[in-house]
Amino acid sequence: MTTVHLSNVTKHYGSTVAVQDFNLEVADGEFVTLLGPSGCGKTTTLRMLAGLVEPTGGRILFDDQEVTWLAPRARNIGFVFQAPALFPHMSVADNIGFGLSVKGRDKAFIRQRVDEMLDLVDLEGYGKRLPAQLSGGQQQRVALARVLATDPRVLLFDEPLSALDKNLRDTLKYSILELQRKTRKTAIYVTHDQSEAFAISDRIVVMNAGRIEQIGTQTDIYLKPRTPFVAEFIGANNGLNGTVVAVDGSGDDAVVRVDTGGLLLRRRGRTRLTPGQAVLAYIRPEDLSVLEDGDGRVHLNTIEGTIDRLIFEGASAQLRVEVAGVEMRADISGGQRLALVQREGRVRLGFDDVTLIPSEAEAGTAVVTDGVPDEAGPAA
Amino acid sequence: MARLRTAAFLAPAALLALLLLYAPLAFIVNMSFTVTNSFLSPGGPVYSLENYAAMVQRYLPNLFVTVQLAALAMLVDLVLGFPFAYILVRRIRYRDLVRALMVFPMFGALYVAFGMSFILLPGGPADPLIHAFGLRNTDLLFSLPAVVFAMSIFTFPFMVMSIGTALSNVDPTLEEAAACLGARPWQTFWRVVLPLTRAGVVAGSLMVFGWSIGAFAEPLLLGSLNEQRSLALTLYKRGVVENDYGLSSMMGVVLLSVAFVVTYFSLRYSRGALVD
Amino acid sequence: MSAASTPRRRPLLSSRRLATIASHAYIWLCLILFVLPFLALLSQSLGQRGGASGLGNYAAVFGSFGDNLFWSFKITGLTLLIDLAACLPAAYALVRYPVPGKRLLFSLLQLPLYVPGAVIGLSLLLTYTFVYKIDSMWGLVLAMAVGSFPLMMTPIVVAMKDLPVMFEEASECLGATKWQTYRRIVFPLIGPGVSAGLLLCFIIVFNEYLVTLFVHPPALETAPLKVFNLVRTNGLAPTTAALAVTMQLISFLAVIVFFRIFGTRHFKGTYIL
Ligand SMILES: Nc1ncnc2c1ncn2[C@@H]1O[C@H](COP(=O)(O)OP(=O)(O)OP(=O)(O)O)[C@@H](O)[C@H]1O
Ligand SMILES: [Mg+2]
Repeated sequence: MTTVHLSNVTKHYGSTVAVQDFNLEVADGEFVTLLGPSGCGKTTTLRMLAGLVEPTGGRILFDDQEVTWLAPRARNIGFVFQAPALFPHMSVADNIGFGLSVKGRDKAFIRQRVDEMLDLVDLEGYGKRLPAQLSGGQQQRVALARVLATDPRVLLFDEPLSALDKNLRDTLKYSILELQRKTRKTAIYVTHDQSEAFAISDRIVVMNAGRIEQIGTQTDIYLKPRTPFVAEFIGANNGLNGTVVAVDGSGDDAVVRVDTGGLLLRRRGRTRLTPGQAVLAYIRPEDLSVLEDGDGRVHLNTIEGTIDRLIFEGASAQLRVEVAGVEMRADISGGQRLALVQREGRVRLGFDDVTLIPSEAEAGTAVVTDGVPDEAGPAA
Repeated sequence: MARLRTAAFLAPAALLALLLLYAPLAFIVNMSFTVTNSFLSPGGPVYSLENYAAMVQRYLPNLFVTVQLAALAMLVDLVLGFPFAYILVRRIRYRDLVRALMVFPMFGALYVAFGMSFILLPGGPADPLIHAFGLRNTDLLFSLPAVVFAMSIFTFPFMVMSIGTALSNVDPTLEEAAACLGARPWQTFWRVVLPLTRAGVVAGSLMVFGWSIGAFAEPLLLGSLNEQRSLALTLYKRGVVENDYGLSSMMGVVLLSVAFVVTYFSLRYSRGALVD
Repeated sequence: MSAASTPRRRPLLSSRRLATIASHAYIWLCLILFVLPFLALLSQSLGQRGGASGLGNYAAVFGSFGDNLFWSFKITGLTLLIDLAACLPAAYALVRYPVPGKRLLFSLLQLPLYVPGAVIGLSLLLTYTFVYKIDSMWGLVLAMAVGSFPLMMTPIVVAMKDLPVMFEEASECLGATKWQTYRRIVFPLIGPGVSAGLLLCFIIVFNEYLVTLFVHPPALETAPLKVFNLVRTNGLAPTTAALAVTMQLISFLAVIVFFRIFGTRHFKGTYIL
């Protein structure tokens, strides 16, 4: 039953800014993931939450208790490291019982709790083994059990799966989620792997260069990126520099001219853009579809270009098309991808959704747009 | 708070070094400028450069012998030690056995010198060999070669360790690459192995030299009067036997200076940075 | 294609095999040289002189030399304790805490290794006599400690550096105090490094005669000092050889036992390869 509150948390290492003005509220029982490229300050933030690093500024609260300056052991947190960090000289059972034994709990209680935990992570009967006698995935599960045994207020994960191979990662991430749901612990999870973040989070915090770029659900950050960084970092995107040439009177629809080639893009829905404003226009590759002659579908935008090449990826295919001097990527799935294999020459592409972000938009200052307007259906 | 803790952790070792090494060394530096044992006289110590003048006028040969012995021991170690280290690191499976046997000299120069004198004694086990070279036991027992030999046995493991560490950091495929490019073994050695291990070789040699500077039991038990003039021995005789504290302190300072200079370069050359 | 230039069979003694044989021969030659002084002492100690049988020489080791051996063990034991007390916290701080001038400090703490024994001996003799006024056994113990603690420090520092901080962090996050972390996590995990340090210090201190010669209290004669004195006054007597052999055998036993338990890799950075 713990909420976590970070306000203006900042960490500088000499002149390096590791984390700057980090503000976040995590609800009780919520699973929040910090996602961002290497070196963006995820680990630093997590370690400040654990008390392993002292912040340069700001406050951290668990519920109403300020913990900013508390030592790790006084915070009652559970920290799962990238490597399992099991104490190599102790048996699995002793590892799991460690947190209780240092607090002086009696032996019988510890033994019972250890058994419960082994049960929880599906490792009954492994208590007597040494960590070296377990596989990587089992070790990480013991690390989880060790952390849960102390009944922590908050679970902190620092890329706990990144040292494991892909199959294990996939199964273990769901085990982590399941355990978190079962124990109803507030969890903060660090990763640089988008699919991992998307699979298990309630909310995602996208970070870049020590700052928060955007906080939101999976659909928020995918469909309504607030900054160019988020638009480009999450998923694949076609990004085009352009200028707003017209906004209709009610501030609803906008037309943007792409700087190279002069292509015109239309966008439905409310904006707060003004004509003459420089914007970045983003079109998701999967939103582009190839139009055949006589195709009945009607799109808000239709563009024409020359096929550069087709990269066949199995379930889908990447079509690279040169449109008015810019290369665009279209992801084609279904039967159409097979038809395209031999295709050359000109092709027409249609799409409805365009995300517009003012070029000067920085972290936290994004003005824009409702991303994909719900009402923007295919219309004439 | 954190600083206090750090200081407290470092205090025992620092105090030990400060009170029992640096302070005493400072004390003999001071003492080395006092005349004989005027330090004890009621009138207080008489300061002069007399001891250092004596060094230049009378004890230069002692310094020379000391340096000569150390340099020769270092050379013997280097010449014998490089191939040893090379074979040990590259060719040998029974390394632990070698390591275990190699610790024997480390137990002390005293036993090495003591054992050597038994070997060289008339009627000893080395007799046939000595006579085969047309020598007499007395040519060897109290002689410069015997001293140098004992000293180099004592320091040999240190040399091998230093070179061996450097060698094990050199990827053996480099040598194979050189061989495949048509280099002869000696070319590979001269142009690939040696340049890559130079730091270890230099550091090891300097270290051995620095340690040999203070040799005591070897010249005493195996040397002629000439080798017995080495500074460490002279220092003991003047200081402990004859109670000339000023003079022996001066010799201590000279020895110390040589050792420090050598050590300084040795540590600069070795991978020395154990803590960073 | 002349048959002479392409031998059809593998030659019995190729140059490669010759080189291999020569390599092994060389190693063994050097090893014999190392052990030769010991073997000479061993054969002498078993030799006869004046009717006493070979093993009789060893009777003295447990008779009149018993005292000296006792002193050696006592002095060595106390020295190791002081070394541990000085090195464990210092190595921890040097590796884990931000210490200004870390490298310089480490070098300064390593320096005793490189000061010639006679100089340490003389400087301590003079300071003990004129400044500290120490003339008890503790003077000798402290002298041994200052000369040997760098040997203890190195393997502990290496072991600390090889120990990821993660284990300590994990322990603290699980609620352990600094002391609990140190005792239950750090100490067991650097144990082999500590033991390597103990072994090194043991063989050095146990056999130390030179500094001892300068600073030993009048009534106290350690075993190596006894060997030294006997060699000088009594010549090359088999009983003296027996004592020297005993000392080396004890030291060697310690080495073998250690290698058996921990292996050799914990001597990284020290002077055993
Ligand atoms: N102890 C430190 N001393 C100096 N700089 C540090 C320290 N720890 C982290 N930094 C710097 O702070 C920044 C953020 O580091 P952090 O480890 O939080 O990144 P991260 O997002 O976890 O990256 P990764 O995905 O690679 O783990 C980096 O630029 C890093 O170089
Ligand atoms: Mg990280």
